[in-house]
Amino acid sequence: MDVSMMFSVSHKTAFVVDHCPYMAESSRQMVECDMLTKSRGQGVIPLAPVSKSLWTCAVECSMEYCRILYDVYPTRKLVHYIVSDSEFHSLNSWRQEDQSTQELMAALASVGPPNPREDPECCSVLHGLVAAVESLCAITQYQHEARRTLMDVADRVANRGRIICLTNAKSDTHVRMLEDCVSETIQEQNKLAAGSDRLMPIQRCELVLVHIYPQGDDTLVSDRSRKELSSVLSSEVHSVRAGRHLASKLNILVQQHFDLASTTITNIPMKEEQHANTSANYDVELLHHRDAHLEFIKSGDLHMAGSTSRDSGLKETVTLKWCTPRTNNVELHYCTGAYRISPVDVNSRPSSCLTNFLLNGRSVLLEQPRKSGSKVISHMLSSHGGEIFLHVLNSTRSTLEDPPSISEGCGGRVTDYRITDFGEFMRENRLTPFSEGVLDASGRTSSERAKAQLERHTRYWPMIISQTTIFNMQAVVPLANLIVKESLSEEDVLTCQKTVFNLVDMERKNDPLPISTVGSRGKGPKRDEQYRIMWNELETLVKAHVGSSERHQRVLECISACRSKPPEEEERKKRGRKREDKEDKAEKNGKDADEKAWPDSERLKGPQEREKEEQTESEMIKDSPDSPEPLNKKPRLMSEEIQPPQKSKGPVSLLTMWTNRITATSRKHEVFAGRLNSVNNKAELYQHLKEDNGMDLHENGKATR
Amino acid sequence: MPTVVLMDSSLSMTRPVSQEGSEEFQRKNLAVHGLTMLFEHMATNYKLEFTSLVAFSSLWELMVPFTRDYNTLQEALSNLEDYDKTCLESALHGVSNIVQQEWGSTCPCQVVLVTDGALGIGRGSLRHSLHTLKQRVEDKKFPLPFPFPAKMFIMCIANVEELQSTDAMDNLEQLIGLNGGEGQIFTMEGPLCLKSVQSMFGKLIDQAYTPFYAVLHCGNLASDVQVFPRPEPVLVDEEVDPIPKAVQTDLEIVGFIEIADISSPPVLSRHLVLPIAVNKEVDEVGAGTTEDAEEEPSANQMAGKSPNFCVLLHGSLKVEGMVALVQLGPEWYGMLYSQADSKKKSNLMMSLFEPGPEPLPWLGKISQLGPISDAAENPYGEDDSKSPFPLQPKNKRSYAQNVTVWIKANGLQTDVQKILRNARKLPEKTQTFYKELNRLRKAALAFGFWELLKGVAELLERECTLLPDSAHPDAAFQLSHAAQQLKLASTGDSQYSAFNHNITPLHTDFSGGGAGDRM
Repeated sequence: MDVSMMFSVSHKTAFVVDHCPYMAESSRQMVECDMLTKSRGQGVIPLAPVSKSLWTCAVECSMEYCRILYDVYPTRKLVHYIVSDSEFHSLNSWRQEDQSTQELMAALASVGPPNPREDPECCSVLHGLVAAVESLCAITQYQHEARRTLMDVADRVANRGRIICLTNAKSDTHVRMLEDCVSETIQEQNKLAAGSDRLMPIQRCELVLVHIYPQGDDTLVSDRSRKELSSVLSSEVHSVRAGRHLASKLNILVQQHFDLASTTITNIPMKEEQHANTSANYDVELLHHRDAHLEFIKSGDLHMAGSTSRDSGLKETVTLKWCTPRTNNVELHYCTGAYRISPVDVNSRPSSCLTNFLLNGRSVLLEQPRKSGSKVISHMLSSHGGEIFLHVLNSTRSTLEDPPSISEGCGGRVTDYRITDFGEFMRENRLTPFSEGVLDASGRTSSERAKAQLERHTRYWPMIISQTTIFNMQAVVPLANLIVKESLSEEDVLTCQKTVFNLVDMERKNDPLPISTVGSRGKGPKRDEQYRIMWNELETLVKAHVGSSERHQRVLECISACRSKPPEEEERKKRGRKREDKEDKAEKNGKDADEKAWPDSERLKGPQEREKEEQTESEMIKDSPDSPEPLNKKPRLMSEEIQPPQKSKGPVSLLTMWTNRITATSRKHEVFAGRLNSVNNKAELYQHLKEDNGMDLHENGKATR
Repeated sequence: MPTVVLMDSSLSMTRPVSQEGSEEFQRKNLAVHGLTMLFEHMATNYKLEFTSLVAFSSLWELMVPFTRDYNTLQEALSNLEDYDKTCLESALHGVSNIVQQEWGSTCPCQVVLVTDGALGIGRGSLRHSLHTLKQRVEDKKFPLPFPFPAKMFIMCIANVEELQSTDAMDNLEQLIGLNGGEGQIFTMEGPLCLKSVQSMFGKLIDQAYTPFYAVLHCGNLASDVQVFPRPEPVLVDEEVDPIPKAVQTDLEIVGFIEIADISSPPVLSRHLVLPIAVNKEVDEVGAGTTEDAEEEPSANQMAGKSPNFCVLLHGSLKVEGMVALVQLGPEWYGMLYSQADSKKKSNLMMSLFEPGPEPLPWLGKISQLGPISDAAENPYGEDDSKSPFPLQPKNKRSYAQNVTVWIKANGLQTDVQKILRNARKLPEKTQTFYKELNRLRKAALAFGFWELLKGVAELLERECTLLPDSAHPDAAFQLSHAAQQLKLASTGDSQYSAFNHNITPLHTDFSGGGAGDRM
């Protein structure tokens, strides 16, 4: 049976443990628990060894079965634990909340060991078996959910289960009586279930009868492999001595029932308990879903991969070698599967050392031993939220090798992506878990809200630095962060308005803007044009959110009211010359105002330094890791210098004067000074060639290469 | 998904095609023509596919190992020689070996078998192979189904009528059946000619080699992409809802997660996400940029130079060490991340998770993941020092909760020794002593192991008598108190044997005892 099937036989396991007086009998397996006395020697009489009863053996082995099951399948694989004496006692239910060993241990404690003085005549495991069949008809929450979602085809939801009965049978005839009883009960219960909404008929039931007998006795019951008793019921009988044999039998059964396989981690270095300086290598055996070995099974080299047969010959384990982790760096491995593990010997020191190491957040790569000596990392152990998983790593050639780099494809030659800004965007749009069933006012789930936030945040989001002005300005940040919100508070509106006022102030002071001039012919836009572009862009951003609320609308109104109005094109042409004159005056006045407005330290820096600061700022944003080196390393603000100085038509504007001054003094661009003498934007190269001798030319030629 | 072209080079492939009034073709010529068409298609539209060429007759030969160089494949194809009879079984063994050696047994592959449908006679014929299917010994099994997931496309240089006149069609159908039904038989329609072979291979291309185009969305940012290899539909639950799920052509980013938090998740498959240029006139970025576009109309013509969202996303994912969670369909998710190969080339990759509402237990249900701005306080902390992931399961696993297992004798012995060791260090170790004592008591009660409780009680009483004169007076009191409590528990008296009851240290006049109240 495939456990991956939603409702396979392994969906429901009913344990029926015999609690009749004869189970109180000793297993006759003695446990010496007074170990220390031996070393103490003289005069101390050691305590007599204790022995477990058949009941104790049955209970602890069934608990171990459940422990492994719950470790590997925390949900969807359910156990109903029933004990049986003069009546049945149900220790839990199919509910997911009841599925834990602690719950079962507490319930078992309240049942206590069998009472040897109880009347054996009225005690029987049959009560439990009948209860188990009834319980298999009961619908689990998972079956209920599946039926609800599949309304019209609800009958496709299967009902299968397994009964594991731990008992001490009298004879093969007794066993057959038990089987017949289960078979008959199934028929009866299925009839009942057919007419009920809360019950489902059993389509398939596997009965596993485990006969437990004390050590030293001969068994009265013979082993029998699985046999079909009816179209619904199959049965198998295991006759096992109590103690160690029972434990390994149930360990094999849990592996068979839940498709588990075993991996032994070898070469685990561990400090010796006695000698802290020495370390020895240990092995730890883990159980997990067998698909973690799929690659070995399919390629047929399960044996080559270091697997060894053990004790019973039924069980095999694959050996993988521990690779001491070198770094703690976070890496995304190509992992094709992850399976929960359960240590076979959970309390042993090597096991707990390994699991604690992993629970503390370290991952361990595991190497597949190969005869050829080549090292192949095939698995990784890692814990996530207190659960340890065996990850299967891909160790074969990738079909995606040698792909074209992203810089060779579409958009690959663009150099000024807003990588840092988008990184910030991603961090703002990180996800976090919310509790189940949280819907907002419009009935959206959390992930739908996440998508809605992405939509809002990207209504206006230029991808490259040269496409935007406002996102290159620190002054706009408060508004840009707030306006994308679904709703604004009064305070938010105020902050936005302050931002706008601040911009107005900047414009009044004629502060330079980080306007991109890439691709623009001639001189970059003039200052008032720059502000016009900035205001336009800001309006575009805010307009994209204006439908969100009335408060968003108010932010837009604030901008419209405060911004410098773009003059009509026609009017502008008419008044062109006039305006320029006015502007110059305004700019002269503006400059005085500027100088006053800047704090002393700022003023001392002078315009060039301020310009430089802006340069470095804008360069820092240009850090697309995969884009090729920008062809033009010059800061954009400077690119206008390539152009020859404009022949002064009329009065020279202050801006032009300033620009010229920068051009003249800028250290970086001294080399281009020759261009100032160019004709029609064509500069003669190597002008000094005629003056200099040949040697210099040669050397220059080399040096420039 | 690598492809193996398995080309029938038996003598029957040289049979001439009867055609009136035109030059004479062999079936082989038609096969080569069809394959040339396939290779040309792949070279332009599917160029990252690895393909190998195997020729077979009674023997098989790997003509071209897996390559993306379609010229080499084409060349080998045109130099194929003619051999003897068809023996498909050994050729399929060959294919199985070649694929496993190169790609292991988990990588899905496509096998394109080109044959005339004359499947051999006598031993080694497909008919014979299929007849003896059930009489095989372990090491001589029929190669199908392959150990790796495979699709088998059978291109018959013959029409249906011809194949049905013998048992060839039945045998080929049986072959597909042996491959778990994965695959298809293509036959030629109408007369055997170049046109019909083209239409047959055209159908194969449509079926198996059409590139997968999609649009990657992140809110209003978007990019046209090709996803390679194309994601194949996934069959989710065989029992209840056996409809295969296909990846949507709109891939929607839900949000972002740190690499450390997503933590090497298991994936079904990995795909390259390659941005592509689609010729459509859309004003992509909004008003702020229209002016630039007007000023430089040539910029849009060069795809490399116009900004693409994939490149931006890739760059930021790489710098920040994050992944983007992407929705592939209803209740189906994947992740986008930057992947660098050994040559420092880096790419945008997409991995597909297992379909379902909760593909990774440590993330929980994806529909319950929401924006951090919805949380009362930033779950990542103001300085990114915290993380809401991984989610903690409701119950701890056995290895994380100090369970008691006494299946092996030494498990029990260790637990008893721990108690005795602490007993000798009373009253300093009062806390640990009672902690271990209660752990043992609980397990013994659950396992109905009352004999052990009595035994340990006796041990403690003996320890009490063996206390040296120098011992703290509190030690004796605690030991006899503990022994008495264990004995009471072993009577099954509900007052003393309650599972959740803990033995607390005896409150004595000596300083050490009071500490136990805190337990």
